[in-house]
Amino acid sequence: MAEWLMMPVPTMNKARTSNRQNRASRRGSDVGTLQIHRKIALDSVKRLILSPLSSLMTIVVIAVSLLLPALLFGLNDNLQLILLEFQNSARITLFLDDSVSEPQGENVSKDLLTYNFIQSAAYVSKAEALEEFSLSSGLGEILRSFSHNPLPAAIIVTPTTLNSRDVNALAQRLETISEVDFMQLDSQWINRLSALSDLISIAGKLLAAIVITGLFFIIGNTIKHDIENRRQEIKVMKLVGGTDSYVARPFLYRGILFGVLGGSFAVFLHLIILMVFNGSLQELIQLYNSSFTLQGLGFFNSFSLIVSGALIGWFAAFLVSFRHIRGDNL
Amino acid sequence: MIKIKKLSKRYVNSQDALSNINFEIGKGEMAFVTGHSGAGKSTLLKLILALEKPSGGELIVNGLNLNKLSRREIPYHRRKIGAVFQDHQLLTDRTVFENVLLPLEISGFPIEDAKRRVRAALDKVGLLKKEKVFPPALSGGEQQRVGIARAVVNRPSIILADEPTGNLDPNLSEEVMKVFEQFKSVGVSILVASHDASLIKTLNYRVIHLDHGRMVNDAGTDNE
Repeated sequence: MAEWLMMPVPTMNKARTSNRQNRASRRGSDVGTLQIHRKIALDSVKRLILSPLSSLMTIVVIAVSLLLPALLFGLNDNLQLILLEFQNSARITLFLDDSVSEPQGENVSKDLLTYNFIQSAAYVSKAEALEEFSLSSGLGEILRSFSHNPLPAAIIVTPTTLNSRDVNALAQRLETISEVDFMQLDSQWINRLSALSDLISIAGKLLAAIVITGLFFIIGNTIKHDIENRRQEIKVMKLVGGTDSYVARPFLYRGILFGVLGGSFAVFLHLIILMVFNGSLQELIQLYNSSFTLQGLGFFNSFSLIVSGALIGWFAAFLVSFRHIRGDNL
Repeated sequence: MIKIKKLSKRYVNSQDALSNINFEIGKGEMAFVTGHSGAGKSTLLKLILALEKPSGGELIVNGLNLNKLSRREIPYHRRKIGAVFQDHQLLTDRTVFENVLLPLEISGFPIEDAKRRVRAALDKVGLLKKEKVFPPALSGGEQQRVGIARAVVNRPSIILADEPTGNLDPNLSEEVMKVFEQFKSVGVSILVASHDASLIKTLNYRVIHLDHGRMVNDAGTDNE
């Protein structure tokens, strides 16, 4: 059983082993490294379960912190979707002067097609305008009682571009056409919404930066406490030849685990909030005859959220453990 | 294996813990370091284990000059030394088996091979039946022996022991010394710090006597 005790000790040969050889011998036995990684990972899960309350509190704090910017980004994504849906309806209506006859108006309409940025131009005669108005408003009877048709003829222009500056420039140019009485741009509210979306995007990024900083401190502090609690263990490991990275490994795993669980919990909370919100939103949306539904995080974004949690956790643990384990003069 | 020349250690704002220490311990040699408490026995072992840095002189262990040892090299240096500590330094939340396994785990041993070695080492110190017990449930002597098993499990080229028989009755002390002697016979150098005068007398090995950090006597088989 103890035959290995009697085997010659390999490092004893010859008189000297140089410092350089010592360095080289490190690269030696890597055989069990994978097993050790698995063991340490399992061990960190076990430790988490052993102190469920404090672990849970840390995880919830991480989850809520990650949730806030995730919600803002989610809100913005949905705004973008709304914008996309309505951007096609960005159009310029040119109301023509009453003195312009029907053939003249149609000519102007055709001329417009030679302009840049114009996809289509549709001429709506006074009669067509009246018919359309009667149908949609139900006020046809009243209008018919007028001695003449009060509605102007119009040309409805759909621009090829969605860029608000180009659309504005186009609209201003069209207003100068002599036959045009006045111009109306339908895309004002889209511009406002678009600007709001930009603002939310910036706010989200800012909040994300703040949250990441905060998470660094939260996770870092938790890991620091763990290190203090396991001082004796660290000491013993170093006494029997544990390297800094070996000693730090359980703490790095712990940081990653906190991040992954916090991120997963954030995804879960996001899902619940979305479900609650979507229910009441549907009623509102039906009033607008729209089929719009709120979009969730989706697989990619959920995955990113969890991975960012893991990265933040790992890096915070890395900084703290190396600071506190290396500082130990053992 | 251990070469010491004019070695000194001074802590900040205090007397010299060690001064002008000179001796050499060869391959397969066993020696005792004795002296009253505070004579510098533990400091000497700490220096060899690179737990402290020498203040002066030369300290060469396994061909490595410890004065020039970089931080990163320290763990690999310690893996070649089996150390037994006076206060055991065991992990209380791991079983006896896991405690002895630790050095092998750290140096990345394949697990099956490691398990065999741990059992062999525990068998050597007579604790095979206690492998699943946690250290706090063991007596002081048993804990000491777990520490010894852990020190030898990695087949070190040097064994350092600080009062390894401090908590043991004479019979067990003899057993422990026999374990050390077996290692000595396969070429391991052994340095034991002890003030157990009767044990030292019966064993007749080289004795390095320290007093207030100075070597007052180096008597033993080499000098006789």
